[in-house]
Amino acid sequence: MTQAPTDTLDLSRCADEPIRTPGSIQPHGFMLTLSAAPATPLVVQQASANLEHWTGMAAGDAVGRPLAGVVGEAAAERIAAELDASPAVSRPAYIGTVTTGNGAHFDVLVHAWDSLLILEFEGVERRRAADFRHLYPLIGDFLVKVNQPATIAEMSELAARRVREVTGYGRVLVYQFDTDGHGRVLAEAKADGYESYLGQHFPASDVPAQARALYTLSPIRLIQDANYVPAPLVPELNPATGARNDLSFASLRSVSPVHLQYMRNMGILASMSVSLIVKGKLWGLISCHNAEPCPVSVEKRTACEQLGQILALCIESREDAAELQFRLDVRRIMVEMLGHLTKGADFLENMSGVFPELLRFARAGGVAIVVDDRVLTYGDTPSEPEIRSLSQWLSVHGRTEVFHTDHLKDVYPAGADLVRNASGLLALPISRIHQHYLLWFRPEVVQTIEWAGNPHGKQASPNDPTQLTPRLSFQAWRETIHGRSLPWHSAEIELTIEFRTALLGIALERAEQMAELAEELGRANKELEAFSYSVSHDLRAPLRHIVGFSDLLIESAGSEDPERRQRFLKNIKESARLAGKLVDDLLSFSQMGRAALRPTKVDMNDLVSACIDKLGMEMQGRNVDWHIEPLPTVQADPTFLHLAVLNLLSNAVKFTGQRDPAVITITSEEDADFVIFHVADNGAGFNMEYVHKLFGVFQRLHRMEDFQGTGIGLANVRRIVERHNGRVWATSVQGEGATFSFSIPKHPSL
Amino acid sequence: MLKPILLVEDNPNDLELTLIALAKSQLANEVVVVRDGAEALDYLHRRGEFADRTVGNPAVILLDLKLPKVDGLEVLKVIRETEALKSIPVVMLTSSKEEQDVVRSYELGVNAYVVKPVDFAEFVRAIADLGIFWAVLNEPPPGSRRYVKPK
Repeated sequence: MTQAPTDTLDLSRCADEPIRTPGSIQPHGFMLTLSAAPATPLVVQQASANLEHWTGMAAGDAVGRPLAGVVGEAAAERIAAELDASPAVSRPAYIGTVTTGNGAHFDVLVHAWDSLLILEFEGVERRRAADFRHLYPLIGDFLVKVNQPATIAEMSELAARRVREVTGYGRVLVYQFDTDGHGRVLAEAKADGYESYLGQHFPASDVPAQARALYTLSPIRLIQDANYVPAPLVPELNPATGARNDLSFASLRSVSPVHLQYMRNMGILASMSVSLIVKGKLWGLISCHNAEPCPVSVEKRTACEQLGQILALCIESREDAAELQFRLDVRRIMVEMLGHLTKGADFLENMSGVFPELLRFARAGGVAIVVDDRVLTYGDTPSEPEIRSLSQWLSVHGRTEVFHTDHLKDVYPAGADLVRNASGLLALPISRIHQHYLLWFRPEVVQTIEWAGNPHGKQASPNDPTQLTPRLSFQAWRETIHGRSLPWHSAEIELTIEFRTALLGIALERAEQMAELAEELGRANKELEAFSYSVSHDLRAPLRHIVGFSDLLIESAGSEDPERRQRFLKNIKESARLAGKLVDDLLSFSQMGRAALRPTKVDMNDLVSACIDKLGMEMQGRNVDWHIEPLPTVQADPTFLHLAVLNLLSNAVKFTGQRDPAVITITSEEDADFVIFHVADNGAGFNMEYVHKLFGVFQRLHRMEDFQGTGIGLANVRRIVERHNGRVWATSVQGEGATFSFSIPKHPSL
Repeated sequence: MLKPILLVEDNPNDLELTLIALAKSQLANEVVVVRDGAEALDYLHRRGEFADRTVGNPAVILLDLKLPKVDGLEVLKVIRETEALKSIPVVMLTSSKEEQDVVRSYELGVNAYVVKPVDFAEFVRAIADLGIFWAVLNEPPPGSRRYVKPK
């Protein structure tokens, strides 16, 4: 046992005890270690000091002898044969019952560990192997019945009863560890006269971490008599490693004297523990107590081990099912909420719309949404200022991930005032940048825990100089726990994280929509700017001209140049006309951006011929050669599309003014998503260098007097096509003609 | 021999009015008219249809802001970035006092910025002032103030 300075002597000392390498065994059997190398003769390397008690040979004499020289020819032969048939593994296996040279009978267990072959001989009264026949039906019956009870506690009770039947021990407990490591007695089977521990809690310190780790690896441990005198190994060190033997898995492993004291304090002299391993973790223990020393032979231990395994499996499947059901329920609520959340545009409004679901989702008493300075609450929550300081604290402490506690006051000092309705907190940061939180509150659940003895009583008193004293009282000790809520279930936390991801997804989608809207607004704004810019430039020009030429006209009154005055008058008239047309075009352009599209089926053949009819006036006295291929039907707004096509055809007619004949060709093609139209002419064309300006408002590539126009036509075309989610482009060889193309999606939703 | 004045103007009415105004100011300089920004650059770089013109920069460029193909600001930018051209005085003529245009013009190093007034007499006076200042008084030192003709 570790000696510790008095001032640091506390429970954690237990954790330092060398439980895996005690250097000795319990004396209800003896141990021999042999070299583990295969094909070597079985020669004894170490023997437990109690060998003499069992065989008459001193341990020191046995070391270095062949096995047969220690246990007798017959027993050694038997053991050698078994080892040949199935080599030893790392956990003890029963290889048979042997009789040593002195006529004593032993159950022999063997395992290979720590570079040695470890043989354990447990003294028994019978000559042959134990009779397993009565154990099989017991296990079979348990298998049939174990799944009938509704609860894990009931299943555990059945197991406890069976283990008691097998072992004959006075009291069998099934206890479960909680997340803090405290054990709670879930089920119990006991004989009269034994104190009941049912429902009581054992503090985590009763089973130190290293013991827990060993329980996880080694599923069963027996202490046959707490008053035993340990038998050390001779020699003390493992010759193969030069260190103390690792007896982690040895059935006879000697246990911590602290534990033995603990047992005596409890009034029990024999104990056995069977580990309940659920999903690879130590879920709990089946713990057996007996007031008197009591052996449990290997076949009974095996049966108990199996009962424990079956119980663990059943617990696992029962917990899985319950967990699954719970998760399904929580998920259903989450999906329900998300459904609501995607509906409106306002996040806060959406969230507050699902307050009842939020409450149910986290089985909370109150919920709050904190967005900037706004705090919305529902249910039983702390006050707004309190919530604000809490979220302040969360953000200061960099809680950018989901945070939860079921004892807020222990981590957040101001939480002491919030105990009533906010002992539990689950905080979900909604934004990575801003202090936005979704907070769930759980009220305090005043818990009265019935400890099997004062959990703090195990502390050594300062006056106790050397010996660690386990607590002496096992009288039930009540402790009332304040400031705690129901713990948050792992599913609740995991789904909260999932919920957050979904929320961020929604926010992201919303942001995308906003960006799209902003882009659209930006475009509209740019057009508006271009519009006002143009109004100030282009609309002012004709007015200035009217004034200028009028001034000149007045000035030249009576002059002898009537031709010049005539031209001034003509200019005035032209400018007035242009001003009027500019106003008209600008109005139609601005309307284009506002009016809703009413798409319908449009036969492009009809549309084109209607446009050509309209162009009659402009084509007067012209020789225009139209080549129009059969055109498809598209889904578009007929009025707008008409305007676009009319603009393109009107341009084609305008820019072929110098040609005789003018040749205008209209064709179409399709790809997977679009129908594409081309209007080609053999007119003046334009310089491809300036193609990027072609579709801008008031952009002109030609002199005003060469080709009339306000510079709005192609801007209109682009606007119409883009509002249909199509694209417009043009190519040209200057002097030879131009081709204007536009695409219209086949599926308008594109 | 006086250097010519380069007038860059696309609008035929504005062109006529500006020419009349220049005529009224009785400048002796020849007025070379080009109708868009691309043509103006061709003239300045002596290329295209102007490949054969006499060597030499104009006394001043009267540059309309809104032009087909290459607009006035782009022309100004090229002038200021071209070693052989950057010292030519440039007067921006425009229909409006749009702030963005004014700012951009000054950023690009315009020498004067004239908003075409609606009143024609005023326009004549402005053109005459500019013509006299830039064409007659010849190359002014950089940073000189606008010349105000005594009444």
